[in-house]
Amino acid sequence: MLETIKLSKTFKEKKAVDEIDMYLDEGESVGLLGPNGAGKSTTISMISSLLKPTSGDVKLNGKSTIKNPSEIRKVLGVVPQEIALYEELSAYENLKFFGKIYKVKKELLEIRIQEVLEMVGLKDRQKELVKTFSGGMKRRVNIAAALLHKPKILILDEPTVGIDPQSRNHILETVKKLNEETGMTILYTSHYMEEVEQLCNRVYIMDHGRVVASGSKSELLSILSTEDTIQIQLSKKSYPLLESIKGMEAVRRVEETNEGIRVISKKGSNILSDLVHAAEKVDIQIIHFQMEDPSLEDVFLHLTGKTLRD
Amino acid sequence: MGSFLKKDLLVFWRDRKEVLIALLLPIILIVVLNVALSGLFTDDGESMDIQVGIVEEDNSLEGLERFEEAVNEMDLDQAEKEAILQQTSVFNPSEMIISFFDNPEIKQVIHTKNVSEAEAVELVEEGDLHAFVRIPEGFTYAILSSIMLDEEADVALSIQAEEQSNELNTLQNMMNNFIESINLELALGTIAEGEAQEPLLPQGGREVIEGVETYSFTQYITIAMSTLFALFMAQTLAMKTVTEKRERVFNRIILTGSHPFHYLMGKTLATFILSWLQIIITFTISQLLFDVFPDKSLEFWIGLLIVITAFALTISGLTALFTSITLNLQDTNAASGIFSLIIMSMAVLGGNFTPIQILPAFLQRIGEWTPNGLSLTVILEWIQLNNSGNLVIPMGILFGYFIVFLMLGMAIFPGRGRN
Repeated sequence: MLETIKLSKTFKEKKAVDEIDMYLDEGESVGLLGPNGAGKSTTISMISSLLKPTSGDVKLNGKSTIKNPSEIRKVLGVVPQEIALYEELSAYENLKFFGKIYKVKKELLEIRIQEVLEMVGLKDRQKELVKTFSGGMKRRVNIAAALLHKPKILILDEPTVGIDPQSRNHILETVKKLNEETGMTILYTSHYMEEVEQLCNRVYIMDHGRVVASGSKSELLSILSTEDTIQIQLSKKSYPLLESIKGMEAVRRVEETNEGIRVISKKGSNILSDLVHAAEKVDIQIIHFQMEDPSLEDVFLHLTGKTLRD
Repeated sequence: MGSFLKKDLLVFWRDRKEVLIALLLPIILIVVLNVALSGLFTDDGESMDIQVGIVEEDNSLEGLERFEEAVNEMDLDQAEKEAILQQTSVFNPSEMIISFFDNPEIKQVIHTKNVSEAEAVELVEEGDLHAFVRIPEGFTYAILSSIMLDEEADVALSIQAEEQSNELNTLQNMMNNFIESINLELALGTIAEGEAQEPLLPQGGREVIEGVETYSFTQYITIAMSTLFALFMAQTLAMKTVTEKRERVFNRIILTGSHPFHYLMGKTLATFILSWLQIIITFTISQLLFDVFPDKSLEFWIGLLIVITAFALTISGLTALFTSITLNLQDTNAASGIFSLIIMSMAVLGGNFTPIQILPAFLQRIGEWTPNGLSLTVILEWIQLNNSGNLVIPMGILFGYFIVFLMLGMAIFPGRGRN
């Protein structure tokens, strides 16, 4: 349905996006993950026709959208990171304005406004000015405004940043519903791995303007299929123990966590007895340990060397 | 386009601070300036008591006879001679000066006594007179020969005083205005009509030209402040684009596939309506408070409305241009600075702070070509002359400005979001 072919954007000397190949099939929900400055927003701006690529192409159903963006604009709903609304207008007035300029037919517009307000749970507050809303409510109206013209593809750029849990859950449920019940294609970027895990069938991981990995959750987790993760709780912190574990042949990484340490080792290396010995040597007691399944967060860390919120 | 217009009007209306600034500030300034400064522009001669001696050395009858003889001796046909004499029969320079001082309104300020030159000098020296006016011998003949026969006058009216004073300045100004009004009368040929019209005399320092009304300080300040704040309206509306750009509302608008013309025209029309209303409200309240335009005809008000409408249209064009500049500039502070600079320059040159007559001639010419300067001048002329013919060209120029600004705005409007 929608694909990018070697999509690149250079600002002066800096390459913000570097030859990205992505695709979205109809009805799919795709996540776009990456740390700050990875190039996610620039990619979204190019896909949504707001920014002209330096090179490469964006195709909708096989047709390039670069020269004539009107086709993609018709089928695209974009929820930007910012609250792209008029704060001085009410939720209803905002939606009416955007509905009109989306050229939603007059007789349908009123119905559509009520539908999207119902979707985002703000039907009762529609007459209130946006500036009086909480951050979460504003983000919900922000989503509603992108849905007025019934887009086939919805792009959401970190729609849950800085909001209360209630609004966050509401937004996630709304997006899930849109994808599952109406077959809307979703491209979702977020800092929250669990949101992407919950919502998306496939994930693209970006870093330094490039896609460093992509695939379904299981495909991405298989990247870490050669590793075991052990979470260990210790009686006290010990630098010599940390160094001793790092020096073990089967150990790939050791991280300090709030609970103790996290050891990533070669799959099937059975280092537990070595760990116990090492602890005894420095007179440290292992209070608790647990073998962990790798998460997408681990995959992200493995690929980019940093956490999502870095 | 209607949606954009409605949105822009609503956004402006909901910003109470902007509304208050746009509507209240010009009115407050008009009130304050009227109270604080009107004294500077009104005649302070009423409280003056100027003592002036009249030294009349001229015998006007002799002068007239001498002039008649001179005309008869000239190599002209009889009809021409009669025409000249007919014109001079109603023009007696010495008598006009005497009757100027006899005018009851002038008498409230200037008190005269006929004295000889020696007495006058003595009284001035003693401080009993502020000055004396000397009508020299042969004055009537010299002035008539100068005006009618284009001969060089060898005598002139003189004012003599011991020292500079406000009284002397006032006397000089009044006399100058009086002489200028006579010169104008003669230039216009009204005296030549032979209808024995008495020239209107200057009143308390105001220059009064027959058929021409003067404008008051209150009128000036009302027009100047209204047009100034209408200029700011262009900036205010254009700067709303900054918020739209910063908060990505503009991107959302682009994504709807709306034509840039609609966006731009929404702002343009909103500015037109708001600046028009702003000027009308300011004029209305000033009229109610100060009776700025007393006893004016319906024709006057219609003319005023036409000028205001044309000016509001120009302002709206300026908004279109400012909006496009804002969208093109990365630094919105720079945009704001540029607009402020443009508007303040226009205000200074156009006479919104002080009458442009105090500016050097080349700046005056530039000022008259600014939309605000042009509108100000046209309205002041409309007050004075009430000649609808004077409105046509300036209105055309203002409309031309609107078209040019709008076209420029459209030409530099960023291309549909892709950059």
